[in-house]
Amino acid sequence: MSSVLVNSMLALALGVIVVRRRSVAIVLVGAQSLALSIGALQLSSGRSGGFLLAAFVLLSKAVVLPALLYALMRRTREARLVVAASGPLVRLAGAGALALFAVAVVPPLGLGNTHIEHAAVALVLIGIAIVVARRPAFFQLLGLIVAENGLSLLAVSVPGGLSYVIELGALFDLALVVTVAAAFAQRIHSELGTGDTELLRALRD
Amino acid sequence: MTSFVPILAAVVPALPLAGALLPLLARTPNGADRLGLAVAFPTAAAALWLAVIALARGGQPALHGHWYLVDGASGVLLAVTGVVGLCSAVVSPAYLRAHRHGSSSARDSRSWYYSALLLFWAALLAVPIAGNLAVVWLLVEATTAASALLVAFSGVREALEAGWKYLVLTTLGLSVALLGIVVLAVNQARAGRHGLSALDWHALQDAAHALPASATLVAFVLLLAGLATKIGWAPVHNWLPDAHSEAPAPISAMLSAALLPSVLLVAWRVKETLEPSVGAATTHAVFIGFGLASILVAVPFLWRALPWKRLLAYSSLEHMGVIALGIGFGTPLAIAGVVVHIAGHALAKSLGFYAALPLLRHDPAAASRAPGGVVNASPSTAAAMGVSLVALAGLPPSPLFLSELLILLGGIAAGYALVSAIAVIGLALGFLGLLHALIEGVVGEGTPRLRGLPRAPERSIVALTAILGTALLALAATGLLLPGSSFVETLARGVL
Repeated sequence: MSSVLVNSMLALALGVIVVRRRSVAIVLVGAQSLALSIGALQLSSGRSGGFLLAAFVLLSKAVVLPALLYALMRRTREARLVVAASGPLVRLAGAGALALFAVAVVPPLGLGNTHIEHAAVALVLIGIAIVVARRPAFFQLLGLIVAENGLSLLAVSVPGGLSYVIELGALFDLALVVTVAAAFAQRIHSELGTGDTELLRALRD
Repeated sequence: MTSFVPILAAVVPALPLAGALLPLLARTPNGADRLGLAVAFPTAAAALWLAVIALARGGQPALHGHWYLVDGASGVLLAVTGVVGLCSAVVSPAYLRAHRHGSSSARDSRSWYYSALLLFWAALLAVPIAGNLAVVWLLVEATTAASALLVAFSGVREALEAGWKYLVLTTLGLSVALLGIVVLAVNQARAGRHGLSALDWHALQDAAHALPASATLVAFVLLLAGLATKIGWAPVHNWLPDAHSEAPAPISAMLSAALLPSVLLVAWRVKETLEPSVGAATTHAVFIGFGLASILVAVPFLWRALPWKRLLAYSSLEHMGVIALGIGFGTPLAIAGVVVHIAGHALAKSLGFYAALPLLRHDPAAASRAPGGVVNASPSTAAAMGVSLVALAGLPPSPLFLSELLILLGGIAAGYALVSAIAVIGLALGFLGLLHALIEGVVGEGTPRLRGLPRAPERSIVALTAILGTALLALAATGLLLPGSSFVETLARGVL
């Protein structure tokens, strides 16, 4: 997979942790999924038909997920933007530092391509950072998708390809989890009038 | 008997999976109850049949085919999940009758509830018999989707918070675990082993010694760290008390008694599979570390005056820690303790959650504060809570007394005297905390807050107390026969 695609996936993930508007974040996640599917299609020559199928499913994910997220956004309109707990530069620096630290300590994973290995680990950690740093349920859902894109990046880069059964299964699971999470986000919005999960802090010991 | 195994291994998860559609056809709320139960009984029967076959094989090697793996550990988990799933289905009508179903109709609410319960149960039953690590991961992730909806079933703000936290944290944890699986797949592919079968438990175990140690160690750590969030091991247990306390009581029982140990079995299989490459010292240290941390984190909460279901949730944290310790020690004595502990914890904990049904139905405020003097208002509810607490605390003749003793003796035999000593202190403090809850909340002189309970719920909780209490005593007696048995010796050599 070309370095440009891998680097653009990283940049788009960092964009999700910075931007304020949900519509912009959907575009960034959609573009990231598109970059991943283009990379998978590039790798599909000389591989099994199953891998090609998995690459096309990734491509359809890049179209279907943003559409689902856009529909969710329309159904959960925010009266005003949710105030962030920390500024965009602090969030960006935190996520960047976390990703760099992980890249520094994680030994070679066996792929033989350290750039992709580092990018995949960094994407998973940036996804986790988005969930931790962003208060709206909608952005936390996007964090899960970013982390999953990191996993898919590593999976499609496996020599000979990871079993398409696993890739399709993981995509099916992602679709299931995103659907359930979207239902939750809608319920949270109708209960609180906002998607701000900071208001869900009743359960404490 | 073993010729039935491939068929049964397919039928056991397929029955609730297909049956999940049936409650959606119900025309009345009671019809949904009946259809839910109509699926639950044959499912439990099939699961118990397969469990009996697995357990009856004693020390013989595991049965495995292209997609399934049935060994002694599968047998224990199938039995536990079959019994708890059936009991949860049976008590669900009592919960649903009391549940306020918001904007949806009672029929829709119940149909939806049973469908989600059966899907959750199907995934749970498939986890211990799936023969492939990647497939197991997909099944564990499927349990998250189905059970998160059930956790938030009541629709109140606290349940939404618990369900969302559970969904997000466990999904993130499982993403980390999937990263570990992909790392294993990468290294299998580099060694020329491609496709789904490269991630079969046996294929991984056969290849583990030849996998690069550093990459396999990374995979092991990622897998265990990810699975730990789903098992609820400290320090990644944050979702556990919230989800267990806010879910409907029958679902709390399934989460605690079946889900946590099922995922723990996956972690156990990962340990056995990768140990030739990672090294026994490392794998044992990781399990012992999670075990001790979970026990020590749980103890202060067991001393606090917590709402009943929340207290049971922290008790789950403690008991998952005990099981982790036993697996970490790895001696036959400790493994005998692990087997008894998984079964005993499931019976005692599910009874505790079922007792919450009459408790909360007639004193809803008990959802947010510790109960007091329950025996004064409802002796039968108090009896169920008492049996559950006595068993969970490990007071003889509880099977958990025997299992904890076996695990600690196993630890000393393995040379972990200091770890065992710390665990003894933690368990003793936990015991005193639960005893305090028993005295103050159940049999004490506290102000009776419960109104008199009608007979029907009392009859059902009396019946459950009698059945599960008898099963606990039978388990304690059976547990005495386990040390030195070929069944345990085989499990101690590896759950594959």
